[in-house]
Amino acid sequence: MTDVLVPADGRVGAGAGLPAPAGPAPRWRGGARRRSAGTDTTARRALDRTLIGLLLLVTVVAVLAPVLAPYDPVQPVGVPKLAPFADGHVLGTDQIGRDTLSRVLVGLRTSWLLALVVTTVGLLVGTVVGLVAGMAGGWVDAVLMRTTEVFLALPSMLVAVAVAAALGPGLANTFLAVTVVWWPYYARIIRGEVRGIMARPHVEAARMAGVGRLRVMRRHVLPGVVPTAVITASLDVGNVVMVLASLSFLGLGQPAPAPELGSDTSRGLVEILDAWWIPLVPGLVVMLLSLLSNLAGDAVRNRLAHRR
Amino acid sequence: MDVTASLLAEAPTPRDASRTDAPRAVGPVARLQGLDVSLERNGVRSQILHGIDLEIGRGEIVGVVGESGSGKSVMSMALLGLLPESSRPRIDGTLEVAGLDLSTASPQEVREARRTRLGVVFQDPMTSLNPTMHVGTQVAEKAGSREEAIRLMRAVGIPQPERRYGCYPHELSGGLRQRVMIAMAVAGDPELVVADEPTTALDVTVQAQVLALLAGMRDQLGCSLVFITHDLGVAAQVADRIVVMYKGRIVETGTTREVLESPRHPYTMGLLGSRLSLDCDRTRPLWALPAEAPGAGGSGSGCAFASRCRFAVEACTTTAPALTVLGDDPRSAHAAACLRAAELAGEASAPVLLPPLPPLAAPDRGAPVVQAADLECTFSVRDERGRRARLAALRGVTFDLQPGESVAIVGESGSGKSTLLRVAGGLERRFTGSLRGPRGTDVQMVFQDAGSSLTPWLTVREVLHERLPGGTPRDVREEKALAILDRVGLPAAVLDALPGELSGGQRQRVALARATIVPPQVLLCDEPTSALDVSVAATVLNLVNELRRDLGIAVMFVTHDLAVARIVGDRIAVMYLGRIVEVGRAEDVIAHPRHPYTRNLVAAVPQPGRTAEPLAGEPASALDPPTGCAFHPRCPVALPECASTVVGVQLAAVGDRPTSDVTLRHEVACVRRGES
Repeated sequence: MTDVLVPADGRVGAGAGLPAPAGPAPRWRGGARRRSAGTDTTARRALDRTLIGLLLLVTVVAVLAPVLAPYDPVQPVGVPKLAPFADGHVLGTDQIGRDTLSRVLVGLRTSWLLALVVTTVGLLVGTVVGLVAGMAGGWVDAVLMRTTEVFLALPSMLVAVAVAAALGPGLANTFLAVTVVWWPYYARIIRGEVRGIMARPHVEAARMAGVGRLRVMRRHVLPGVVPTAVITASLDVGNVVMVLASLSFLGLGQPAPAPELGSDTSRGLVEILDAWWIPLVPGLVVMLLSLLSNLAGDAVRNRLAHRR
Repeated sequence: MDVTASLLAEAPTPRDASRTDAPRAVGPVARLQGLDVSLERNGVRSQILHGIDLEIGRGEIVGVVGESGSGKSVMSMALLGLLPESSRPRIDGTLEVAGLDLSTASPQEVREARRTRLGVVFQDPMTSLNPTMHVGTQVAEKAGSREEAIRLMRAVGIPQPERRYGCYPHELSGGLRQRVMIAMAVAGDPELVVADEPTTALDVTVQAQVLALLAGMRDQLGCSLVFITHDLGVAAQVADRIVVMYKGRIVETGTTREVLESPRHPYTMGLLGSRLSLDCDRTRPLWALPAEAPGAGGSGSGCAFASRCRFAVEACTTTAPALTVLGDDPRSAHAAACLRAAELAGEASAPVLLPPLPPLAAPDRGAPVVQAADLECTFSVRDERGRRARLAALRGVTFDLQPGESVAIVGESGSGKSTLLRVAGGLERRFTGSLRGPRGTDVQMVFQDAGSSLTPWLTVREVLHERLPGGTPRDVREEKALAILDRVGLPAAVLDALPGELSGGQRQRVALARATIVPPQVLLCDEPTSALDVSVAATVLNLVNELRRDLGIAVMFVTHDLAVARIVGDRIAVMYLGRIVEVGRAEDVIAHPRHPYTRNLVAAVPQPGRTAEPLAGEPASALDPPTGCAFHPRCPVALPECASTVVGVQLAAVGDRPTSDVTLRHEVACVRRGES
């Protein structure tokens, strides 16, 4: 029974002073699912481990894609529009005779590794901004969070398209375009989490113990936001895959001969009645990749929730 | 209390009529025989209750007492058929409640029984009431109609029940919320009400009211009550019979008088012996039950208590004692599960007296180490309706702390005692008035909840090391950390532990170690023992006293418990609504309280063998403190001028003590201070 007084204008607690913490997320962006992790069973653990293992396998395949690909992905190596399994081409060939499997493997590499980089960089920027805003409070917090909200208010897909179109096609430009609209989301979540931790007595106790501001940030606050950051990012990376594929589909990815899942789908679309595998295989790979990373994100969240 | 009398004074309802027409079933309302309950947590099944034999008679009040981990809460959940499904409860033995065998009954039958024949009061009414529903609607859900709900709300002492009917839980005070819970519990005229620590979260004066209400409830309604608490003194206030539990077993049971006056189980003696009262010997360290030896208990065939028992003999580690009736009369209610119960009568149960502390060297009466004058602290908050309001936490506090002196600050919630501590510690800077005192690491604080005041992901080593000044070599840090751990009575192995791996008492010791590894001038303690079991609390209080003597630290100790204040404080300052109303030497304030509020606080302390005289009303809101003396609306001896005058409620010395020395002065803020 303490009577510690928390002033109502003191903005204590997660997300205080902000509109609803989650906010209306764009449709293509699922937002962090925060439903309860449920009970932990042996079957659940096994499933979670399998999902995480599968995603790691995808990562290994993506890294090794140039080695694993049976043919050169950009050179015609056979008769155009060969059906799957014909002539040694497991997934057939495309309009100009390039091996579909090789193109999909290398395309997967670009999509998945770029998604990981975008998520990581977005998370790093978001964590720094969120940490500084949450710990400093006052006008620093206000300036940083209002800036963040300006970014959040813009429709992120449109901004990404606009940035990519303005900078021209290319890997680096796609990366920039998506990262620019991605970090504010993390910044806001981290900032809310930091406010929550700052309201806990252990931060005040550390201050009383004479611990300096930087050390409080590094040792008493930052480790507390890591689980949230990891969970948020792992649930979000599937969305990044989708956005990157969408940009590529719209022709804003890498220029023409480079294999990319999105652009291969869009360019192959005209062939769908003729040679269904040309657009369908890369499209399905995008779908499966996004699905798998979402499920694995849930699995990571479950494992972290039950570890604590 | 007259409010309980109105339970019957109200017009009888059809249900009352039916009660007289159809007499209830005879026999006990609950029968537990050889009851074993095991629960699963994280895939590991462990047995929580071991062979519980208990009968609860009609209209009987049974107090179930035990420390944390005794299984008392699991037993209350079992009585209500509320064991969580997620932990896959397994029940063996007989569990009959209100004529229903709960181990075989269908969920529908259990639900029906809970609605019509059982009632429950939980510890925290804020979390057990639905925050999105009007409280009246919630009572009516169980009572059946709005009229019945209002009748019940009036009967449990809720003023203006028609107006409160449409309030949400957060708009009511803690005491009123608990009354709403009680109204819900007694709605439908239950046969058995289970109250799990119903007064633990309440202020002392409100606790006394709620205890009186619960005891009156049985007299008026004839329902049985199972009262679960960690405090024997509280149980003694209401219970006819007391059941003492340890590690999921009943170790002693008997009438309240038998258990309190001639306890026969060493655990009961230990609980009584480590219980703080207003007449413990202040000159000696408190005796406490020894902590459990590491790795003991749980397994083994012997008595679960053997490792902590000062009377244990060889046989205790091999033979599990059964609950055996004491004395010659086989129908006697007094039974204990101890091999030596027969020998341990009489003087064995006398409290253990430890050697007295050496007298405190007269401290150097130099300049006060903390000197506060006219401290005022006002926060801008939202009131319960969401409007902006000004909350006056401190309303003119003048206060000195001498070097090496210990002052206990006592008050109910909202009295401003914690705010005063935070201002003194530099954690709260929004105040007016003058404050001189140490700054930075020369003032250290120990918080109420050691669990949340230690960073969960840092080891004890890191927490202790970072308190030492920068540039200290690593081996020196390690050496000092080990030395302070030894001083607070923790093994060196604790260095590598995370707070989550320690017990509550150990965490509070770590918090004390952190605060004193470099001795500060002033140590601030914010209710450091209120969340601990009695025996653990006693050792922590001893430690505070010891550290303070050895290191010459001045202590400000905030507590809501006068018995604690008396142990740690050379002086006691009583606060009410942001002001100190009485301050003086601990023995003067406890033995000769002069302010009517202090007198009521002293009278409200639950003591075995004494019925607390509850003070009417609840602390006024700090959002709108009464004019004049803030206490006058509740004051039994208020004069008309108390409401208007400001003159005369300032602190002024009373009695014949020399007034030149601040540590000896007895000051009271009351216009009638001159009368005794």
